[in-house]
Amino acid sequence: MWRLSYANGIRLWGGLFVAPAVTIFVIFKYIPMAWAMWLSLSSYDLLTPPRFIGLDNYEGLAKDALFTQALENTFTYVIGSTIPIWIVGLLLALVFASRNQYSVWSRVWSNFFMSALFLTNVMPVLVAAVVWKFLYHPAGLINEILRQLGVARIDWLTDQHTAMPAMILVTVWRFAPYFMLVFLAGLLAIPRDYYEAAALDGAGVRQQFRSITLPSLAPVMGFVIVVSVLLTARIFLMPFVMTQGGPGGATRVLAMYIYENGFTYLKMGRAAAASVILFAIVLLFTALQLRLFKEAEET
Amino acid sequence: MISVRTIRRQALTAVIWVLLAAVTVVFVLPVYWMLSTSFQASDKLFSLPIEWLPSVLHTENYPNALSRAAFPRYFLNSLVVSLAVMAGNLVLGTLAGYGLAKYRIPGLRVLLLLILCTLMLPIEVVIVPTFLVVKQFDWLNSYQGLAAPFLVDAFGIYLMRQFILGVPTEYVEAARIDGAGELHILLRIVVPQCLPALATLAIFSFRDSWDLFIWPLVVISRDEWKTLPLGFVRFTDDYVNSQTEQMAIATLAMLPVIVLLVVLQRSFVRGFAQAGLK
Repeated sequence: MWRLSYANGIRLWGGLFVAPAVTIFVIFKYIPMAWAMWLSLSSYDLLTPPRFIGLDNYEGLAKDALFTQALENTFTYVIGSTIPIWIVGLLLALVFASRNQYSVWSRVWSNFFMSALFLTNVMPVLVAAVVWKFLYHPAGLINEILRQLGVARIDWLTDQHTAMPAMILVTVWRFAPYFMLVFLAGLLAIPRDYYEAAALDGAGVRQQFRSITLPSLAPVMGFVIVVSVLLTARIFLMPFVMTQGGPGGATRVLAMYIYENGFTYLKMGRAAAASVILFAIVLLFTALQLRLFKEAEET
Repeated sequence: MISVRTIRRQALTAVIWVLLAAVTVVFVLPVYWMLSTSFQASDKLFSLPIEWLPSVLHTENYPNALSRAAFPRYFLNSLVVSLAVMAGNLVLGTLAGYGLAKYRIPGLRVLLLLILCTLMLPIEVVIVPTFLVVKQFDWLNSYQGLAAPFLVDAFGIYLMRQFILGVPTEYVEAARIDGAGELHILLRIVVPQCLPALATLAIFSFRDSWDLFIWPLVVISRDEWKTLPLGFVRFTDDYVNSQTEQMAIATLAMLPVIVLLVVLQRSFVRGFAQAGLK
């Protein structure tokens, strides 16, 4: 029998605390990812055992116009929605941060407006998708407002040119308030003395923004960029409910392509290959944005 | 004397408030429309002109909508799964966050990196093999199958670790010298100082699980295990169901998250500000 030294005994406790979480990650993240890579090299329809077919699935993807379209749509959607999310979120946060210094009343009003904006974030994504589907309806609220303004009716979700922008608008509406809070937390963490010192030295508002606010926000920006891309790259529910990927595949994104191939056509191998590609995109992007990881190592 | 500068500043302030109010109205409008529609008479489908305030509150939309499908059961299923996921995240996230913050575990950096890497493996990416794993366990059409993959999340661990790093290590060591057990230290000394982070984690894990869609879509095929989103989508696909009743269900679907947010509001705001990011 051997006995643990006191220090090792304590270390063992640390390991025990982390073990349940790691176990779940291994079962539901790492094994599935490894499995996906292996499946992507096989042909599998759930009924007959998987058969190794090398890179055929990837070749199939390259030749599948639907896949290329889904890939393009995903890029359009991610870029089209993340950039407005950052801008709207940051602008709102700047307004709230400046309102916060004034009187008690302005703080009360700020809190009221903030809570109201956060409502969009409390709404389940599905509810948001269903509500907006009605708002976008040819006879819905948005077209009614346009009509009163004398603008012609727009078939938002059934027109190839407007379906994607319409979905992007809902996305910005849903997620910008969350990132506003993230930005705001970052802004409020900047010590007030920096601004006071800068003002004493005669720096104007614009200069203060450029040389204090922006650099101090850099870590927050890194967080926001990575998280917003992760959130939008995996989008599924909104196109599934609002457009079913249409019209003419204009809103079919990668996650939908994966779902359809895997669970509608039972082409598990091809779906796995598409998920490996989606993973590669996310990985590549995050590796470029190493910030989140660098920080984790530093602390 | 009021200087020109003061007037200009006050005018600017007023303009900012008006703009802010306008933006807020635009953001809240869809939510208001949902609520207002849920109380309209059902024959007023897309009625023009728009009736912003229902002249008569048609509360019967709610019981009518609920009776159209097994909605009470769907609500129950969603609640069970979301509460389980929330509890899992609170317990496992706190344990792991504590272990990673206060113990010199060998290979800590690699471990942290491995945990953060799971952020790049959301369910949409690993949907096919995760489905196969759960099928192996024979957990299709079950609460276990719905909840298990989400019982812990890298965000939660990261949040708890960041927060616990801020708890002075001296407290932990002093308790240890007094002979307190490790679990006792965690429960009695560390956890009471992490309430804001726990509130934040509770809200986000509950909401994310309440929102789950693609996962129930693939693991659930039997009606009695359907979660609210699945039942609701079926309901909206059926054009027989009126817009007003759909909005009644939509409003109800929003309630649990709001209730949780209101209950935990104070801690949530602090937790978000302090540990939401570092």
